Amino acid sequence: MKTGDANLERLIGRVLRVGVTASSVCLAVGLLALFSWPGASSGLLQAGILILILTPTARVVLSIVEYAAARDWKFTLLASIVLLELVGGALAAVVFHRRL
Amino acid sequence: MPVVTPLLALIIFTAGAAAGSLGALLGIGGGVFLVPLLNLGLGFPIGVAAAISLATVIATSSTVTAAKAGKHLMNFRFGMMLEVATAAGSVLGGLTVQLIAQSHLQQLFGIVTGLVALLTVSRVNRRNVITDAGLDPGILGGRFHDDETGATVVYQIKRVPLALGASFIAGNVSSLLGIGGGVIKVPVLNGWCGMPLRAAAATSAFMIGVTATGGVIIYYVTGQLLPAAAAAAVLGVQLGSWGALHVSRRLPVKALKLLLAAVLAIVAVLMFIRGLQ
Repeated sequence: MKTGDANLERLIGRVLRVGVTASSVCLAVGLLALFSWPGASSGLLQAGILILILTPTARVVLSIVEYAAARDWKFTLLASIVLLELVGGALAAVVFHRRL
Repeated sequence: MPVVTPLLALIIFTAGAAAGSLGALLGIGGGVFLVPLLNLGLGFPIGVAAAISLATVIATSSTVTAAKAGKHLMNFRFGMMLEVATAAGSVLGGLTVQLIAQSHLQQLFGIVTGLVALLTVSRVNRRNVITDAGLDPGILGGRFHDDETGATVVYQIKRVPLALGASFIAGNVSSLLGIGGGVIKVPVLNGWCGMPLRAAAATSAFMIGVTATGGVIIYYVTGQLLPAAAAAAVLGVQLGSWGALHVSRRLPVKALKLLLAAVLAIVAVLMFIRGLQ
């Protein structure tokens, strides 16, 4: 294991903790608001869901940046492929869904 | 499809807490319990149940990874490499699931859950990987301090193509059925690829966040992820797995695993029979 890896591990841990905490707070408050005031906007709930989904994606982006900064091109490429797969899947779903 | 009222949200929250605690005790995540509860118990279509379950998988993965970061148990490099395969599997699974009939998915769920039950019984005693502290872990291997034995564990990765294949299938099954996929990856990584069980489990827990994201993005775009139901389930699973991890040290693990395997076998039969109707 290289020395940069321990640093990346800590950074990733921090990003995931912040992401999951922020989304849980949004989901809890959003859910309570939705049931306390009928007709309330579901904005907080939607934000909570989006933060939840984007947290692992953010972790992949962070890995790309860190591996590129360390000039570790092999792993920069692997992490970039993972990101492309996630984005490609979402785009394919948009096209696919419209055609249904 | 049921309307998410405050009462139903509370029921989903409770179901999430139950599934989360069972999953954490068994070490396989709550999806195998949550999907049948939502589908058979509460009447959500299996795609909607899978989408909700995948949202809870992401939350569990983020929480577990954040908690374990810094202990070097997770193998980020090998995990990142396997994510190329698992993300491809989950994205393809998420796209093809839209074309598969609910009854076929229920049958598949029954078969996979049945296999997991068998696996749980057969692996009550875990397989140890022989390691040598003087070994060079190479670019993909790892080195960590084992709290249980107090020793430094070093391992090399073997059979990378097999690990990639298992990760692809795990990703595929994850999107189709709404489970994390660790039940497929962990036995392969531990049994054939040279990873100690704790490293394999931690690396899998790290990976399933990306695996579930690949599937859930597609369910989200196609409007099958219900925000209120997902919120209740995510919060429930978080509470359940947190609670389970705080009591698990005081419970008899072997008896518990056999009990949960029996529960899984019942779930498998119920889902399979429903799929035949």
